[in-house]
Amino acid sequence: MRRYIARRAAAFVATLFFVSALVFVVVRVLPGDPALVIIGPEGSPEAAARLREALGLNRPILVQYAEWLAQALRGDLGVSLQYDVPVGRLILSRLPVTLPLTLMAAVLMAAAALPLGLYAARRHRRAGDYLAMAVSQIGIAIPGFWAGLLLILLFSVRLGWVQSGGFAGWSSGLWPGVRSLLLPAVALGLFQTAVLVRATRSSVLDVLREDYIRTARAKGVSELSVIGKHTLRNALIPIVTVAGIQLGQLMAGAIILESVFALPGLGRLALGAIAARDLPVVQGVTLFVASSIVLINFAVDLLYVVLDPRIRYE
Amino acid sequence: MRSFGKLLPLAALSVCLLAFPAAAPAQNLVVQLATEPPGLDLTATPASATAGVVFYNVQESLVKVDRHGKLVPWLAERWHTSDNKNYTFFLKRGVRFHNGREMKAADVKFVIDRAMNPETKHPYPQYYAAIGDIVVKDDYTITFALKSTTANFLLNMARQGSVIYPREAVDTMKSEPIGTGPYKLAEWVRGDRIVLVKNPDYHVKGLPKLDRVTYRFIPDPNAALAALKAGDIDAAMFGLGPEHVPELQKDPRFQVIIGETTNDVILSMNNSRKPYTDVRVRRAVTLGINKPEVVKGAMFGLGRVIGTNVDPLNPYFVDMSNAMPYDPAKAKKLLAEAGYPNGFEAVLRVAPQYYYTVRTGEVLADQLQKIGVKVKIEQIEWSQWLSRVWKDAEYDLTIIGHAEAWDIANYANPKYYFRYDSAEFQKLFQESEVTVDDKARRDLYLRMQKKLVEDAPVVWLYIHPRLAVTKKGLQGLWKDLPLPASDLSEVAWTK
Repeated sequence: MRRYIARRAAAFVATLFFVSALVFVVVRVLPGDPALVIIGPEGSPEAAARLREALGLNRPILVQYAEWLAQALRGDLGVSLQYDVPVGRLILSRLPVTLPLTLMAAVLMAAAALPLGLYAARRHRRAGDYLAMAVSQIGIAIPGFWAGLLLILLFSVRLGWVQSGGFAGWSSGLWPGVRSLLLPAVALGLFQTAVLVRATRSSVLDVLREDYIRTARAKGVSELSVIGKHTLRNALIPIVTVAGIQLGQLMAGAIILESVFALPGLGRLALGAIAARDLPVVQGVTLFVASSIVLINFAVDLLYVVLDPRIRYE
Repeated sequence: MRSFGKLLPLAALSVCLLAFPAAAPAQNLVVQLATEPPGLDLTATPASATAGVVFYNVQESLVKVDRHGKLVPWLAERWHTSDNKNYTFFLKRGVRFHNGREMKAADVKFVIDRAMNPETKHPYPQYYAAIGDIVVKDDYTITFALKSTTANFLLNMARQGSVIYPREAVDTMKSEPIGTGPYKLAEWVRGDRIVLVKNPDYHVKGLPKLDRVTYRFIPDPNAALAALKAGDIDAAMFGLGPEHVPELQKDPRFQVIIGETTNDVILSMNNSRKPYTDVRVRRAVTLGINKPEVVKGAMFGLGRVIGTNVDPLNPYFVDMSNAMPYDPAKAKKLLAEAGYPNGFEAVLRVAPQYYYTVRTGEVLADQLQKIGVKVKIEQIEWSQWLSRVWKDAEYDLTIIGHAEAWDIANYANPKYYFRYDSAEFQKLFQESEVTVDDKARRDLYLRMQKKLVEDAPVVWLYIHPRLAVTKKGLQGLWKDLPLPASDLSEVAWTK
């Protein structure tokens, strides 16, 4: 197990290194110049050229990357070209929005998808199954941003229950913060919930066809125990795999929904930074997201051992 | 109407929680801002998103462009010149910066010296190039000796890059601008909002009327519309499109303010690229465009058709919208004369960040097809547009709105992305820059505009209208925007 963890850690570092180099090259190769974006068409190209010089963007790309890497290794992600604020501080200031948003969407996803998938599998080829599948089909078909707008129209404009967007902050208490993330979390989790319902259903169906389930039923084990103990635990491995991937996708989906709901999260930070070619911020956010996804995958791998004692990492 | 018995406690709780913004004092304003400013330093960025918040609200200049587009004394209570080369400004006394210190002539000298210093990366050094000596006579008197007569000197002193700030705050202006304005910056939560609060020591008695202004960044127009309808924001100054206007005009909760701006939307042709090097081709493209139809199709009929660069808020405006009226037959004839009897193909590069560019492009492509010009629309990202089109002039056709006031200078710069190079026009422009007599200058402006119409370096399409939507009861907003600022000093709720 120790060797396994060491191997994973090495892969983690290599992934981050690769991602950072890739992002650096891609952002630099893309046409577009941060100095021009800051100066804009109202200024002059000469002013932009002076700014580019001052920002150190005229130096060779390798020199810039080496400098960035040396800084990053010391824990300094640089300063945003656009905001003139340290990138680390910018990312930290956005986490209180994006992390709870992703977590809430994930909780909603798990809370809705597991029971629904289980229900559909048990009602296989009966009305309940068809209904659940139809609902999940709708969930897959509706894009998150549109679902977001529909939710705003209903709950904010018509009913006035929650605000239409923006983030109330955590300083005024738990509920105002949760309330401003509720609609975006639902819109964000909708698609993934629908996918997970299907994954759960098919995984449970597979297990229900196993001999040991038939044996358990033949022995007269209660249905609750058959489902809860024998079926669910065995069905969970593929479900956890899908859910782990989905958690990463939720973070990516946050980019669009944060714009629709005007939330000051990581996704919008990344979007604005890409548009402004604010490389240090793009780098910082990408590294953060990449690290999170690698860590989620790692956690999923560890979870396998817990769920299925037959799995060993050597 | 709705029976949500079980949900009542929840609804009641929501109402209690919602009560915080709803029951706040009436003199608060929450405004939508579509684009977050890239920084708040007016001496570092020309971005209109920055000016929209900071200019006139947080920082002010010696001279002000008022709501009618007139230059009026502001931080200088008056000025004097006998030869249009030496200007003496007499500063208003008792004007305090937000840090409590009184504004003095030495601050003015520091600010303008800094703008002239190439090291400081001021975006518009050209506006101060003519200034020679700046002498502080006493705390409230300062003189500027110009190297040559500069007709726009006072206007340049009124521009957003000429705001007066205290020397000690120069390093923090990007995130915490300090000035003399009616509002002070309270906080900037990046990605979410900027909050301004009333400056109780403002130098104009009785102003400002609002206690607090919150700018919320809502990039999506539909989300902004929903926020307005849900009552989460009180006003959208620039963020809504013309398609939202008819619906909002019918809604008794809102008022829609439609006014003029200096934002002229143009179809630019690359004058250094074939076939646009030929003036007959450029004229043919102009004649092949039915501008009223463009405004109807792309802007729901909102926006004034124009025929040349000078906008209706400029004192030298003359209506030239009919100078080159739609005439496809004549356009085809001109194209044939130029050697393109079957027309030609063109790529139109537009940046969808500005919604009107794409819509206008679609209408234009359709119209130009009729004279044989086959337009392919290519949408590119804004930063690419800036690099490829604006900086490197790598384009055939492009559409963009030029929001700057008094931007006729662009046509006198052969390196500008139009690549329009007319010695005659450049001479006229240089003359206009040193001509102070109003009548003579007006005449020069007329001649410049006629020359532009004749050479057709670009097609001037329409003025992008000011479209502001607010809740009923908000008064004092400027109807027209003679410059890209959004002065909230006189804005107040009437009920």
